[in-house]
Amino acid sequence: MFGKTASYELTWNFAVSETVDQSQRWILSAMQRHGQELITMLWRILGNEQDVCDAYQSTFLQLAHYQDRKKPEYAKAYIFRTASNVAISMLRHRIAERKRLFSTQGVKRDLSSPEKELDYKYLVETLRCCMAQLPEHLRNVVALRDMAELSYAQIGRMLGISPATARVYRCKAVQLLAVWMGKGKEEKQ
Amino acid sequence: MRIISKNKGPQGRNNPNGDPNKCRRIRTWLYRAVNSRLGIDANWVQNHIAGCPRCRRRLAAAGKVNLALSALKAQPHRIDLLMRANSQTIGVLKHSLRQAPKAAKLKAMLPQPTLLERWRKYAHSVANLAACITIVLLMKVGVFSSMGKFQTEGQKVVKQYYASQVGQDLANEVFTT
Repeated sequence: MFGKTASYELTWNFAVSETVDQSQRWILSAMQRHGQELITMLWRILGNEQDVCDAYQSTFLQLAHYQDRKKPEYAKAYIFRTASNVAISMLRHRIAERKRLFSTQGVKRDLSSPEKELDYKYLVETLRCCMAQLPEHLRNVVALRDMAELSYAQIGRMLGISPATARVYRCKAVQLLAVWMGKGKEEKQ
Repeated sequence: MRIISKNKGPQGRNNPNGDPNKCRRIRTWLYRAVNSRLGIDANWVQNHIAGCPRCRRRLAAAGKVNLALSALKAQPHRIDLLMRANSQTIGVLKHSLRQAPKAAKLKAMLPQPTLLERWRKYAHSVANLAACITIVLLMKVGVFSSMGKFQTEGQKVVKQYYASQVGQDLANEVFTT
């Protein structure tokens, strides 16, 4: 009797795990469909290949463990927003780490030279730092529009706002970025 | 809006070109232009910017953001980054997913150009083909035969005019050649 029950349990467990495996195949499909765009977005936000791989892995792991391993209603939105959040967290961590390093070593970076102003690496790093400080609603739009190159209609659908609102948010984000990127220079002067 | 109001300083008030409404309108234009990557060519905008230090600073700052965004987009990554990221991610998924045939395909996946990018090189050929098809269709519909009819009718009218003015014989001579 006990043996029979155990074998039924094994069969049941196997059937359940098989169903879960079948139902989780969509993760691979999502990876195939959105992987390339996601890598482009993560690369533009992070600018470091290892960090990109880590953020990508973290995104799909979160997706695999989403609410009892069910597929989210709008998987693309979930993937892009999770990836953007993960990347921004990593970016913030990196900025904080760099600041801490400079403060402990007592090194002051000289950013006032005109070459630095034209140095695209410096420019891009400044933009990344400023982007990490943007409010969430503006940052999401910038990440999806400029980093992932999605249309305003797609962004609207993903964030649950209208395309016109997405445009306004991007405009505000550019204003803020312009003020913050110009501020450093003014402070030096 | 809050951020801009923070920047209102004595310089803005002493602006020689100082029309605050104009400044406000131009401010909207600047960021819209940066958004849509349009040039700010209108004369009144150019004249105002030349005389207003605040707007000049804003234009420079907006241009800087634009430049940084362009530089960010222009940075290339290694071609195998997608492959590496897929391999790393699949490595931590469940055994059954790791063993799926699609997983092997993903591990060897390279970036592919989108459908639009793939077809862009055929754009000229497609346009030429469309033009040819349009001409054929117009011929089929009878637009060209109608045009020929118009021409013949026109010639007849001119011939009649010549015949009435200079005589039938001369008109026949002119229009047979």
